[in-house]
Amino acid sequence: MGLLTNLRDSISRVTDGLFAADEPKRIGIYGPPNAGKTTLANRIARDWTGDAVGPESHIPHETRRARRKENVEIERNGRTVTIDIVDTPGVTTKVDYKEFLDHDMEKDDAVRRSREATEGVAEAMHWLREDVDGVIYVLDSTTDPFTQVNTMLIGIIESQDLPALILANKTDLPGSDVQQIANAFPQHETIPLSALEGDNMDEVYTKIAEYFG
Amino acid sequence: MPHQCTSCGRTFPDGSKEMLSGCPDCGGNKFQFKPAGATADADSGGAADSGNEAPGSAAGPSGSAADQSDRTPPTPAEGSAPVANDESEPTPDERAADRRPADSADPTPSDAAASPDSATDGTEQIADRSDEDTAQASARSEVVSPDELDRASRDVDPAETPPAEEEPQPGIDALRDELNDQFESIRIVSPGQYELNLMELYDRQEYIISLQEDGRYVIEMPDAWGIGEE
Ligand SMILES: Nc1nc2c(ncn2[C@@H]2O[C@H](COP(=O)(O)OP(=O)(O)OP(=O)(O)O)[C@@H](O)[C@H]2O)c(=O)[nH]1
Ligand SMILES: [Mg+2]
Repeated sequence: MGLLTNLRDSISRVTDGLFAADEPKRIGIYGPPNAGKTTLANRIARDWTGDAVGPESHIPHETRRARRKENVEIERNGRTVTIDIVDTPGVTTKVDYKEFLDHDMEKDDAVRRSREATEGVAEAMHWLREDVDGVIYVLDSTTDPFTQVNTMLIGIIESQDLPALILANKTDLPGSDVQQIANAFPQHETIPLSALEGDNMDEVYTKIAEYFG
Repeated sequence: MPHQCTSCGRTFPDGSKEMLSGCPDCGGNKFQFKPAGATADADSGGAADSGNEAPGSAAGPSGSAADQSDRTPPTPAEGSAPVANDESEPTPDERAADRRPADSADPTPSDAAASPDSATDGTEQIADRSDEDTAQASARSEVVSPDELDRASRDVDPAETPPAEEEPQPGIDALRDELNDQFESIRIVSPGQYELNLMELYDRQEYIISLQEDGRYVIEMPDAWGIGEE
């Protein structure tokens, strides 16, 4: 964790036992745009806190600022694991406003969204550098996982020795190919799920508790 | 001197470490990206040097209110790196040296477990800095004559930043190229089209909080510097 970046937070939390060993781990939900990160974050938050984290959308780059849900208490096998989840903007190497024009957006709005999306990627990368203790990497299992973004992010995560879970999302869709993701990142455990339908969330929670507890 | 503190106007060369811990002059933690092409001598041989000594700060009134009355008003955001080209200004090197302690606070991934110690450090530095600010500010106001300030601002005025227009123009393109060379984490292909260098973004310590189409960024340094509010 970057101490400077966290200082303000830390101080505001000082009364809850700053630097206590049992401080919740901060888990970043990362992945390319549209993978279902927010859908997953909302599901986790709703299941365990009753609240949502942020808006989901089929239009990429819906999330353009990192959003955090703190003190999510997940119960597994009689044990409670508390984590903070951070839903981050989808990471990409290219942002083009033209992509948004297809979604019935005015040019001005599309250009602005694209600018915000770019800022969002910068923010996500920044959080990855300093502010997360673990990563849930979400991939849309209907798309090719062999991308520059995935390789680079997983590489960074590994170089930082962050515990990471890879989720193969959207298994409810016909084109879903979980095995392809498992093949792409054989050094990590890949868990299939549908964040939208809530399929296989039990296993997801078990793994979260195991990896980040 | 592609970066300029948005509160006092001090400029910094690209890659300057000084700004990483907040503006040494006023403690501000927002910086806007100023392509070098936006000022008159920026591409002359001495550009790097002149950027280095940021006595832009000398002309840019300090953020600390105390001494603002006898100076030129803060250059507005679009204003252009006040005096970065004036080599005759007192070198900030000593100042820079003074700030070195800030570097030691650079968070690195290996700081993983933020220890109470380090947190304390950060806080102390903030306090230190504001002391120094006052000292530095008054020191500056003694050396820099109004004439110099005046001359300095005239030097740069003609080179005002080009307007942000959507139609690509030679000027804008050049500016963009320059920006792209200097700040390689984000390439502005055209308005609304960006290419991102993830590794570069990851390696940068500062946040980029705001992108503007005329080739500027507003950059925010790590939050801790805003802690004075508490
Ligand atoms: N069929 C199906 N659709 C899903 C699933 N998870 C998410 N989606 C849909 O995928 C789209 C993108 O979901 P988001 O959760 O907004 O994706 P994101 O990764 O947060 O996207 P950005 O914020 O743009 O990076 C939405 O239309 C979701 O409803 C899933 O498991 N199955
Ligand atoms: Mg999202």
